[in-house]
Amino acid sequence: MASAKRKRTEDEVENTTPRKLRAQILVNGEAEDHDAPGVQTPSRRARVLQGVENGTPRSILKKTGLLNGANGTTPKSSRKLEFQTPTKSPKNDTPNGTPTIVRNADRSARRKSNRKLVERTINGDDSDEEALDEEDELAQNILGDIEDEEAGDAVAGPQEEVPVPETPSKRGRGRPKGSGTKGPGRPRKQRLPTPPPQELPAHEEYFWQNRPGGAKTSNNTLSAQTLLNHDEYFQTMQQYEERHEPEMTFLWELHSRAYDQWVFELNEGFNICLYGYGSKRPITEAFIAHLYEHLLENVPYKGTKKTPKIVVVNGYESGITLKEVLMMVASAAVPSNLKLPNQTASLVLFILQYLSENPPQHPVPLIVNSIDSPYLRKSGIPAILASLAAHPSISLVCTADTPNFPLLWDVGLRTQYKFLFHDATTFAPYDAELDVVESVNELLGRSGRRVGGRDGVGFVLRSLPENARSLFRILVTEQLALLIMDGDHGGIGEDEPTATPRNKKILQTKSAVSDSVQGVEYRVLYHKAVEEFVCSSEVGFRTLLKEFHDHQMVESRKDAMGTERLWVPFRLEELEGLAEDLSGDAF
Amino acid sequence: MEHQRCYIYDPDQADGRSAKRQRTAKLASQAQLPARLQTYHELWSLQNQRIQATLEESEKVTQENIATFIRRTTEGVRDDLAGIPSGLIVAGPSIASHGPFFDRLGRRIKNITDSAYLVLTSGESPNLKTLLKNLIKKATSRVDDDDEEDLGRPSVSSRNAPKLLDFDLGHLQEWRNRNRVQSVVVVLQDSEAFDSGVLEQLVELVYSWRDRLPFVLLFGIATSAESFEDRLSGRTTRYLEGQKFDVTQSDEIIEKLFSAIVASTNVPLRIGPGLSRRILERQKDHVQNVQDFSDGLKYGYMSHFYANCTSIFLKDGLSFEDVSPEIFEAVRNLPSFRIRVEMMLEKSETNEIRSLLTSDQDLFQDTTANVDQGKQILYALSSAAIVFARLRHSLHVSPNVPLSSIWIRAASGDMVGSPLLRETMLSVKKLPSDKLDQLLTAFHGLDVTYFPINLSAYHHELTDLLKKSSSSTPLRTQHDVRNESLRTTVVAQKVLLSKHKANLSEEDNAYSDLVARLHDELDEYFSTTFIDPRALYLSEVLIYDLKSPHTEVFQPKPRFAIERALASPHDYLGCECCGVDNERAEDASLASTQPATAILYQLYLESGAIINVSDLWSAFNTIAGDAEDENTESKTMALFQRSLAELKYLGLIKPTKKKADHIAKAMWRGL
Repeated sequence: MASAKRKRTEDEVENTTPRKLRAQILVNGEAEDHDAPGVQTPSRRARVLQGVENGTPRSILKKTGLLNGANGTTPKSSRKLEFQTPTKSPKNDTPNGTPTIVRNADRSARRKSNRKLVERTINGDDSDEEALDEEDELAQNILGDIEDEEAGDAVAGPQEEVPVPETPSKRGRGRPKGSGTKGPGRPRKQRLPTPPPQELPAHEEYFWQNRPGGAKTSNNTLSAQTLLNHDEYFQTMQQYEERHEPEMTFLWELHSRAYDQWVFELNEGFNICLYGYGSKRPITEAFIAHLYEHLLENVPYKGTKKTPKIVVVNGYESGITLKEVLMMVASAAVPSNLKLPNQTASLVLFILQYLSENPPQHPVPLIVNSIDSPYLRKSGIPAILASLAAHPSISLVCTADTPNFPLLWDVGLRTQYKFLFHDATTFAPYDAELDVVESVNELLGRSGRRVGGRDGVGFVLRSLPENARSLFRILVTEQLALLIMDGDHGGIGEDEPTATPRNKKILQTKSAVSDSVQGVEYRVLYHKAVEEFVCSSEVGFRTLLKEFHDHQMVESRKDAMGTERLWVPFRLEELEGLAEDLSGDAF
Repeated sequence: MEHQRCYIYDPDQADGRSAKRQRTAKLASQAQLPARLQTYHELWSLQNQRIQATLEESEKVTQENIATFIRRTTEGVRDDLAGIPSGLIVAGPSIASHGPFFDRLGRRIKNITDSAYLVLTSGESPNLKTLLKNLIKKATSRVDDDDEEDLGRPSVSSRNAPKLLDFDLGHLQEWRNRNRVQSVVVVLQDSEAFDSGVLEQLVELVYSWRDRLPFVLLFGIATSAESFEDRLSGRTTRYLEGQKFDVTQSDEIIEKLFSAIVASTNVPLRIGPGLSRRILERQKDHVQNVQDFSDGLKYGYMSHFYANCTSIFLKDGLSFEDVSPEIFEAVRNLPSFRIRVEMMLEKSETNEIRSLLTSDQDLFQDTTANVDQGKQILYALSSAAIVFARLRHSLHVSPNVPLSSIWIRAASGDMVGSPLLRETMLSVKKLPSDKLDQLLTAFHGLDVTYFPINLSAYHHELTDLLKKSSSSTPLRTQHDVRNESLRTTVVAQKVLLSKHKANLSEEDNAYSDLVARLHDELDEYFSTTFIDPRALYLSEVLIYDLKSPHTEVFQPKPRFAIERALASPHDYLGCECCGVDNERAEDASLASTQPATAILYQLYLESGAIINVSDLWSAFNTIAGDAEDENTESKTMALFQRSLAELKYLGLIKPTKKKADHIAKAMWRGL
């Protein structure tokens, strides 16, 4: 069962053919509650479909139009073309699709939408956003229809190579993504979208950019193998040569000409903030070196063995605390024989007071890389950094990476910071600031890959006792069973087998039906484990689980009812693989 | 190093590469930088003194009032007081200036009165307990800050008494017994931000301690005293014996500062009209504060002396040896120098031109002379602006135009012939004698160095005339409306309006004559002094009016910078490969040579609110990948992942839960 299913999923991933969709409409028309485990339409698509069907009258119109004038409509999206199997298409074009069926489909769609409405009111917790989305879709449908025809008229003819059937296109107005991926020579844009209006007032532009049509996307998913893992990534990047290396060096050198100016500005009591795209660490690094030399050549150090102390803080490093920063500043500003207070608040006061009473011969330079990093944004930290920066005996040079960083500071803080801003665009990669692979995985809700995917899990499991392996196997099979069960009885609406754990999290909050998808209940798992003699007490159970937690192989959270649920952060395919491995004694 | 959280820089550990590279040759404009910077320091310290003086001056009265208030409360017999003496300090909406204000106030209060001055902010007072802890900590000096030890340490003198908790005001009392201060001034700097419950509790507590501790509460208020009162319950209000103090609002101070620093006469380097307007606008639009204002001016000075090598001519007592030959070259390249030479050519003063072009010595003398002359002209201009502002002020001409805008107009050279000037001069013409008297008196204290009109002569004449005049009504000029009447005649069913001048008395005639002379002289004065300073020879030295570094440095557009870098990387990189494509039509496909993140960003721009990563990858692969070579796919993927991670790092995208493998757009371009 599992393997068969898996195959189908792969199919699905590789080509989500519009043909299938259409087939599905027909299927739905005949028996809407038809058990169709193989048709894997995530709920989103179901809605999309429903939207299409709601507008069937128009599609009838269109079909007659097709009958009359062959080239009346054009496919809305060029990318559908590629997946179109020509053999099938005539079938759909011909008036074969009898009106009855269409009407049936129509009715069924209406019934389905009714059912959905009822469901929603019963569950009552569907977000407004979703509802809005649907309205948008409907509106988009109508609009898109008109546009379709317009665009069709405009573009029709020359670009049309094959008489292509009207696709139940739900591509939205946006540029069809992934279009022309496999056909290298073909122009990427076949249909020109309505040209973006120029120079709209800001609010209009907001609505333009947020127009409802943009939200339609395909259901393609990245296969697990596409994304690189850490090793592959670093291996590849090592060989990679930046095409723009000379230009980047040029930019870098441009900035380096300003170092003297910056030193002057710091001496005049200003602080400096560097912004712009690209890692600014190379710049601060070089500037620190420059500043160091500059200080060495001047009064307190010239001719002596003393060296200036420049405090460097890497704000992007996770887990950086204010205390560390302050201790470092204190170590540069305050002689080491003085006892420092323990609490941060008093430490700040202490440092500032010491500096006011014993002003050093030059301000203590404090360099902060990525002052807008999440770790330095926590409440209170900007205020304390500002009070440091405001002191005449501390000069701050910092970099800020995000585009909206000035919003971090209100007028008061901004005044304290006394910043001069310099554009320091470098185009340099954020090598130190970013863990690329990890952050992409997080972005896509595949944090399970953190352990190193299936292999990583296997590696961990091999080093664990038999009991732990059994427990993991139970967990995986339970989770799989839940997923499949849900896929079976939930129908199209709740069926979302390719969903990531993240998706499930909201699904859970969305409806009671899909609640069960959300991992395995802690109690259930415990009892199963006891039944299979994996463990004898809850303490033992916890110990086993802790190991999984430590390796990030298991995630847990409390659901709306307050029951704890556990799940393995993998997608269905991977879970199946895991289950196979586990039962096959691969580990 | 890069993965260390924080460290002290050590050159041995840093790679030598950057150290070597940064030794770039000094740029040509750096010639004589130290000398220029020294000039800058001299000039700016003068200006800074003025700023400080103006600030002191403007706040002096309020501060003194508050100090007197505090002294009075402490001197009086306490039992008489029904409530806690409290000052409501309405400090205005620009919260940024509150901190510095209370700092200065504290210094003054400590100087004048014998009292403890403790500032509390809302941030450190989330509840009464923490507030009191902080208060006590601040009062009883910061020698012993360690909280852990604080708890264990027995309180100093009360060995027998039960141990005090660390938020017990008993600590404060003890401290006061030792330090003998007259009163304890507690400042709640941002009273609006305090929880009103905490405020009420505090007031009640302070009230109950009033027999033991002489508290004075000062509330910093940004809105109004009324709204402050509204927040407190009636009972709490009864505990307070309030007095309101209005602080000079920051825009008034700014106006004063502007008059003192930019528009006053004795300023060697002028901040030009464009920049002044910009700085003032920033003040107005972004409720900035005084500190920012003076920082802006300071940066103007800094830029001028740092980047403009001819600025060395502003140095006092400059000798020929001080100036290096490059600077003369620079002077010869100034636009105003060229214009002057061309004008001299028209007059065929070829010898002079030759000497200016060839002899550094001659150029030096000529330049220093001209700089001095230019300074005088600008002094006169500023002086005229001041006269004009005073004139308008004493004429009560509406609308009230502040000196700053008058000066800016004058300095941009659009004063002559402006409606403002014409209107004012017209009202001078119509001036009745009593007003003229006031006007002349108002001009008394004026600095007359650059004011050629002998006002006292006019004053004498006027008093003579007034003496002669028998009637009690003031004398009027012939242009006065009251000396005109309209006559309506109906001729052939048409209405004709004609003005009719009343017959003037002899005194009025004489007076008209007097006013006419004054008017003409003033007119002459204004039209000669209100020149366009930008047309002045060597205005590049005398006036700093560059928009460029100033705006970027104070009003950066980081978001725009990043968007631009990603949307058209060519603008920054200036490379040959990416620029060409950008010049093609808008819809032309993306150049695959662009940096990966830029490509991805442009794809991102084209998409809607949520983006399918799989499709995004295919699109990216089409553009950035190499179609023929399958092996490079992993490279493309790595770039894709990196770009995606960078976009996330920049906050442009975030994970979404709506669909599998989708990301949500978090920022819209240009919004």
